[in-house]
Amino acid sequence: MTFRTKLFLIFTLALVVSVGLVAAAVTEVTRRAFDQMNAQHSDALVAQFQREVVQRSEDVVHRVQGIADAEGTVRMAIDLSRPKGDVSVYVNDAAGVAKAHQLDFLDFISNDGSIISSAEWPARFGYKIDWVLQPEDWVARGSFLMKADTQEGPALALLSVSRVRVGDKDLYIVGGERLGREFLASLVLPTGMRALLYRNLDPTFQAADLIDSTGPATQADQFAAIVQKEQQEPGEQIAKINWTADAANAEVFHAMPLLGRQKELLGILLIGSSQHDVVTLQRQIMLLSVGVVAIGLLVGALLGWWGAARVTRPVRHLAEGAREVAGGNWNARVNVRGRNEIGQLAKAFNQMTEQLVDQRERLIQAERVAAWREVARRLAHELKNPLFPLQTTVENLQRAKERSYGEFEEVFHESTGILLAEIENLKNIVGRFSEFSKMPHPELGSVQLNEVVRSVVKLFEAQFGAVGRPPITPELHLDDHLPLIQADATLLHRAMENLVLNAMDAMPSGGVLMLRTSPAADGGVHLEISDTGTGLTSEECERLFTPYYTTKQHGTGLGLAIVQSVVSDHGGRIWVESEAGVGTSFHIELPKHPPRRSVSFPISFDYEKEKEKEPEPEKHKQEA
Amino acid sequence: MKLRLSLLLAASSAIVLLTALPVKTARRPRYGGTLRVEIGTTIRSLDPAVPAANSDEEPAKEQIDSLVYDVLEPKSKFTVNGAFHVTAFEAGKRAVLAATEDYRLGRPFVDSIEIAMGRVARDRIVDLELNKADFAEIPAEDARRAAEHGVRVSRSKPDELLALVFTGGDEPGRGKPVSAKAREAIALSIDRAAIVNFILQKEGEPTGGLLPQWSSGTAFLFSTATDTVHAKELSAQIVPAPKIVLGYDSGDSLEQAVADRIAVNVREAGVMVTTRAIPQPLGLAAPLDERIWKRTTATVDALLVRLSMPSPKPAETLELFSNEFGITTSMNSIFVLPSASAQEIYERERWVVGTFRVVPLVWLPRVYGLSGRVRDWTPPGPGESWPLADVWLDGPVEAAVEEGKK
Repeated sequence: MTFRTKLFLIFTLALVVSVGLVAAAVTEVTRRAFDQMNAQHSDALVAQFQREVVQRSEDVVHRVQGIADAEGTVRMAIDLSRPKGDVSVYVNDAAGVAKAHQLDFLDFISNDGSIISSAEWPARFGYKIDWVLQPEDWVARGSFLMKADTQEGPALALLSVSRVRVGDKDLYIVGGERLGREFLASLVLPTGMRALLYRNLDPTFQAADLIDSTGPATQADQFAAIVQKEQQEPGEQIAKINWTADAANAEVFHAMPLLGRQKELLGILLIGSSQHDVVTLQRQIMLLSVGVVAIGLLVGALLGWWGAARVTRPVRHLAEGAREVAGGNWNARVNVRGRNEIGQLAKAFNQMTEQLVDQRERLIQAERVAAWREVARRLAHELKNPLFPLQTTVENLQRAKERSYGEFEEVFHESTGILLAEIENLKNIVGRFSEFSKMPHPELGSVQLNEVVRSVVKLFEAQFGAVGRPPITPELHLDDHLPLIQADATLLHRAMENLVLNAMDAMPSGGVLMLRTSPAADGGVHLEISDTGTGLTSEECERLFTPYYTTKQHGTGLGLAIVQSVVSDHGGRIWVESEAGVGTSFHIELPKHPPRRSVSFPISFDYEKEKEKEPEPEKHKQEA
Repeated sequence: MKLRLSLLLAASSAIVLLTALPVKTARRPRYGGTLRVEIGTTIRSLDPAVPAANSDEEPAKEQIDSLVYDVLEPKSKFTVNGAFHVTAFEAGKRAVLAATEDYRLGRPFVDSIEIAMGRVARDRIVDLELNKADFAEIPAEDARRAAEHGVRVSRSKPDELLALVFTGGDEPGRGKPVSAKAREAIALSIDRAAIVNFILQKEGEPTGGLLPQWSSGTAFLFSTATDTVHAKELSAQIVPAPKIVLGYDSGDSLEQAVADRIAVNVREAGVMVTTRAIPQPLGLAAPLDERIWKRTTATVDALLVRLSMPSPKPAETLELFSNEFGITTSMNSIFVLPSASAQEIYERERWVVGTFRVVPLVWLPRVYGLSGRVRDWTPPGPGESWPLADVWLDGPVEAAVEEGKK
């Protein structure tokens, strides 16, 4: 993942988290506000209902008292107070009076508790209602809830009792309203709210006893839990019923117990508040929040991308510059302006690369000088050997000439032979130098390294088993899946020849020459050439690839230098592993594609001019 | 002096006697006037060949037909020229009958009878109160209130039986048979006295028999007392607890009130009774047996029925009731012996009642409201028609009419 991408993600994540937190906070606050508002609404409605009930109660009391105060009632009381008062005359009176006063229940009850006339159950005349005779201040009692028996079955009634006393006899007037569908329908409820009434006429929950303003409530079983809880512990409670999986179809119900005269639970009023509007609004807010988050994310992503691009551009330039430098282009410069840390870093980078280039050039120059010095030293060393016998031979000839012709003739042939041999030697030395100097650039092509190895082995097959020398056994371990590489087969062949020759020279008593190829990790190839020769010391290993260094008595010491040059030109690397007395292994790794040549080693240069440029050694070391 | 005192004392006594004693002067009937009659039903046609549309129209149609047509022999065709003849008829609204001058039994006293149809009981009573009507039949349960409001009320002998009949049977359309114990429990739990005293406002007689006291003389032998304890014992023996559907005529408020009261009474005994209003499509001419289950649009287990005595003769009444109830005995299936003794009649009656398939409740009189000017009115007996041809109107006719129009 790039720095720009990381920065972009971090920025975007920070923005998303911030916006998300804000949206969540807003949603939560809004939800709580709605819940509170909803609860206040419900509480207000419950309070309204309670006021309605109180008002209804007072109205019932007022109407029943009005009936008691009516002349007809008083006359009835007077008539019934007589010893032979005939109650049968009034058996049908309650129905008309109840209708006139819009009461659902009206009973005229005699002094002994017998029903004189009943509006809600006319056929029940003569039967006794004992609870009316209980000593109670009915005026102070006002209205109360009660389970009333009707022809259709028990019903909830809001009743009031009035009494008309004539002499020592009382006429009781029990009147009231039915708490049922009509009562619920009379409640003024705002949109989204409804009222249900559960008539607690049975100890267990009965779905048929739950009604709303239109009749029996649908899905009454859903209320079983709240009703049963209310039956066990009467008190105001709140419950939520989810009608479907959609939360918008839920309803929150306030349950209010309706207690009778003796605090028994007669009914439960359920005020339901639809959650549809609240949930819908919450969803809208949620959608809005999601939209805001999405927009914020989009804007944040765009800003983040732009910001990350701006911030990382100089870093990218720096990275590109560093890559170029790593790739060998030490002349790469980073064009980054600014006074911030990135600008300072860019400036420092440019300074560093300038210094590196400068130092490289100096190093190259130093290496050139050192190389030429080494060449000169080696040349001087190589040439000195044959030159001394040449000089000696020529001096011998001169002396012989001076002494006698016969001695001169005797020495002349010997001396000329020596001169020719040494000249031949010089020619060889020059040839080797010329060969080394003429190392061509690789001409790349697809090369199967295994074929080169086989070719080299085949070239030396005859020498492995040459008569007069201990045999050398070649072992080939060539990988069948060795990839092709871009290389110069001829140069590789020459390099392998040198390594094989060195290995043969290291095994004067014979041995095993093992050649192994295998794929390298970077897609290139790996070549190992091992011998079971005398091995090398660590000091010898360090200097092995130095030109003109040799452990042989004969040889120019350029073989491994040539091998190293070939390997270097192919962008590979070579190293040696050796153990004295065991053997030596040369490892070569070659890439699949050699890199572009970035460093040129000048073959010829003006020595005197370069010598003038050569810095003081002490000073150069210090600078390094 | 003594003579004067004596004469003075005699004169004073005479004056006192004359003023104190009620003086009845027999007045002679006089002709003229229009008798204003109101009926509750509507009559489609006075043609006797056209049957009544329902059981409510039938009795009224018969009464009016009896005024217009004469029946010389039983089961013979009607002849025209009854005591009155129709001079105007608006089906379902109004009929005017004029006196037949040459009626074989003598011209009626009134010149005409105006019949207003479709007047509900309350309106008939109000019209009687306001002197807008001279004659109307009023429900027995309203008689007392009408009398309290100044209406002149006339009652016949109780000749209509209100009874509870168990309709269960094997025939199609009948309810499930109710067990004997349940029937007896129901019979024992019904409070007839409360029905008479409260619902009927003391009109009628509670009865446990199929014949009224005035007819058989043995009605008092049939108990009307309530035995709730025994009823509970009987119902407790019935498993599962019985549930009875009691039907009543949807157009009869009295039957509805009685059915509701029976339901309350029987519930005390542990039997659940639910009431159901049932329309009555067939006329009274159809056999009761047919009317019982053909009335029912839904199956009922018991039914309230009102049966009129066909005649004052107990034997005929008992025979009719037994046949209509579908109750037969191992004895003669048809009881047509007019000479049957009172003992035999009682035994038959006792047997029928003892099956508890019929539970007699109340004998109802027919109650008539009369205006103050109607004279010589005699309530008809069982099977008899309104004797409107025999009544006459007293007082200034025009003043009464004008006063009624106010």
